[in-house]
Amino acid sequence: MTRLRPLLGSAVLEIVLVALCLFLAAVAPNFLTAENLLNVLRNVSMQGLIALGMTLVIIAGEIDLSVGSMVAFSGCLTAWLTGALGTPGAGLPVPLAVGAAILLSLAAGCLSGSLAGLLRNRFGVPSFISTLALLTALSGAAELITNGFPLTPFPGWYNFIGGGYLLGIPFPALLFVIAFAGTHMLMNYTAFGRAVYAVGGNAEAARLSAINIRTVRTAVLALTATLAAASGVMQSSEIMSGTATTAKGWELDVIAAVIIGGTSLAGGVGRVWGTMVGVVFLGVIMNGMTLLNVNEYWQHVVRGGLILLAVLINRMERRGR
Amino acid sequence: MMNAPLHALETVALRKEYPGTVALRDVSLRCEGGEIRALLGKNGAGKSTLVRLLGGAVEPTSGAILVDGNRVRFRSPREAIRKGIVTVHQELSLIPGLTVAENIFLGRLPRRRAGLIDWRAACSMAEALLEELGLALDVRAPAGRLGVAQQQMIEIAKAMSHAPSVLMLDEPTSALAHREADRLFTLLKRLAAKGVVLLYITHRLEEIHRIADAVTVLRNGALVGTIPAGEANPAAIVGMMFGEAVGKERPPEPPPSGTPVMEVRGFTRKKSYSDISFTLHRGEVLGIAGVLGAGRTELLRGLFGADPHEAGLVTIGGKTVFPSSPSQMKKLGVALAPEDRKAEGLIQILSTRVNINLADFWPPSLHWITTARREREVATRYVRGMDIAVQSVDSPVSDLSGGNQQKVVIAKWLNTGPCVLLLDEPTRGIDIQAKRQVFDIVRELSSRGISSIVVSSELEELMEICHRILILKKGKLAGELLPHDATLENLIGICME
Repeated sequence: MTRLRPLLGSAVLEIVLVALCLFLAAVAPNFLTAENLLNVLRNVSMQGLIALGMTLVIIAGEIDLSVGSMVAFSGCLTAWLTGALGTPGAGLPVPLAVGAAILLSLAAGCLSGSLAGLLRNRFGVPSFISTLALLTALSGAAELITNGFPLTPFPGWYNFIGGGYLLGIPFPALLFVIAFAGTHMLMNYTAFGRAVYAVGGNAEAARLSAINIRTVRTAVLALTATLAAASGVMQSSEIMSGTATTAKGWELDVIAAVIIGGTSLAGGVGRVWGTMVGVVFLGVIMNGMTLLNVNEYWQHVVRGGLILLAVLINRMERRGR
Repeated sequence: MMNAPLHALETVALRKEYPGTVALRDVSLRCEGGEIRALLGKNGAGKSTLVRLLGGAVEPTSGAILVDGNRVRFRSPREAIRKGIVTVHQELSLIPGLTVAENIFLGRLPRRRAGLIDWRAACSMAEALLEELGLALDVRAPAGRLGVAQQQMIEIAKAMSHAPSVLMLDEPTSALAHREADRLFTLLKRLAAKGVVLLYITHRLEEIHRIADAVTVLRNGALVGTIPAGEANPAAIVGMMFGEAVGKERPPEPPPSGTPVMEVRGFTRKKSYSDISFTLHRGEVLGIAGVLGAGRTELLRGLFGADPHEAGLVTIGGKTVFPSSPSQMKKLGVALAPEDRKAEGLIQILSTRVNINLADFWPPSLHWITTARREREVATRYVRGMDIAVQSVDSPVSDLSGGNQQKVVIAKWLNTGPCVLLLDEPTRGIDIQAKRQVFDIVRELSSRGISSIVVSSELEELMEICHRILILKKGKLAGELLPHDATLENLIGICME
């Protein structure tokens, strides 16, 4: 047992995930089909995209609570801009209008994250507070834009971004995997990634080692808000409308996935790969329970319990070292 | 002969084993009240194990502890305190938000009949205690607002409030300047006269003559011996600690004449220092001496752009700048090993490898791509070159001893190719051998043309290593001194007068 420990210790969550999949394959006949697995990947991809950025934010010792509202806001903004810019006769051709709307929504996301960074750096406002304020403000802004009703200005092909397939793979899942590769490389093979760990590990020591901690904080917050805005675009494409009430409470799902993946809320510790596993883990559990016809209310209870369990495993693993 | 009863502390074959190692080997010693016993040993010699056993933090594997001739056992520090053994630890443990009085009587504040805290009694008790120790402090002020030296005094006051028979002090002067240390020594001598057993753990050899009556040395967990302070000359002590005499005091080489590398003009931060101007030459080791609170640390941090200052320019490498950030100063070739090495010099949860490369990560364009392998090569080079004792460069830097951590901090900066190294208390809390190595590194760099500015409370160290010493008094430059034609007494005199 002790000899197995180092081998198992570093991959507990992966082993649990494989065991879970084997169990589901045995009891739910349609779990282990390509279609279902791709479906799982699609379902997790929009939250997963944000979780990648959130991993960086949490490693840097910050938090972003506004991501759920940002998804709704950016979806609504994209819809509204598409309608406004693409008004027949007065505006741009529809494809151009859609493209401009998406870019502007991403820019709005980037701006919102930068604002949280600015408040943190210049005025010492903890990101917990500033993004909590943004959570409310963005949610209200989404309602203002849509006036309470879903906006549906999108052309039919727009559905591809959130609902289409490329080479048989769901397009959002593809984007998620690409973003995973990107953030994984960023955190493991670049000096910037090391700086993120340093800032979360000990901001003062990082500053005195000539690392620009303000830039690091702003960059990770801006990246995450931009990813949330991208997720909002995908979401609006999937449901083909800008809806202000969508993605409520996503911030907690996203943070849960990051924590399950072994990232420490204290900062300085965590891996993008762990978050990937955490995201898939949560997706598989939800999918499995749906396939097994578990009552929806029970699904939430079970999920809560599993989050706790995963964190406990991480704790014990860390103490074992 | 009518003095207070003398207390006594005795250990009989005290032994502590941990899985795989023996931390303390059958140590038997006896200390009488009225004497101050210095306890010496390099890191890992068993000093801290002995302190922990006596203080009740760990239980011995075998052997006995006797206080006033009675065998005592304790399972917790609280029990040890109740039985009269109180420890003042090196790390400050005051709660910054609570007042001085609350800190002193934490957990046992006097109560009124209704169970409410009797603040008036608490404050007057605290005041009486502080007065006895010769401290004029507001007992209602939050402890966090006091300086490190004052906090240290509060820690001792807190220990004394337990009326101990044995008082152990673990490097109490490591954060104190000369004058504060003197005040502490006066206090300790008074306590000894009351019959209290004083066990004094230190790294500073020069303190022995000022404070101790006898010296006990541990090596590799075993007792080497006890000698009277009068016979404890440095060679004898170092011999006992290391088994052989290592390192001899090298006189400072003459200051390299020649090109200025850094010129400081009119550096001012009103609350800490004002109108500081000096020139640092190529390869020069420049000391800054002064009592605690003279503005030494603040000045170094200001020069590095770590803390804001109000006026003053630095000319370095032909460029004149207003220092405003560490990254700006790093670009010009300035490096800082900060005073608080653990909290500010290194990122404890990250590996030695990452820490050695830490100052080389910004701006990100320096290494768009970095790999663990490249970093390992860099780290290994410094670990070998500077003799850093480390199991693996990939394990957390927190595993390293103080001396090795200090070397990692210096390695981190050497990796950026600096021309000026700012060293703030570089030898604090590290053993003699590591101290020698740090000095050797500074000398080595000096011979390669890299200049250093060293701030230290240990004036004899400045005399040993510096080519020139600036004296800082109340934030102003009060003179300069060449160790070649001055003595330690001169320097102490100038600093104190």
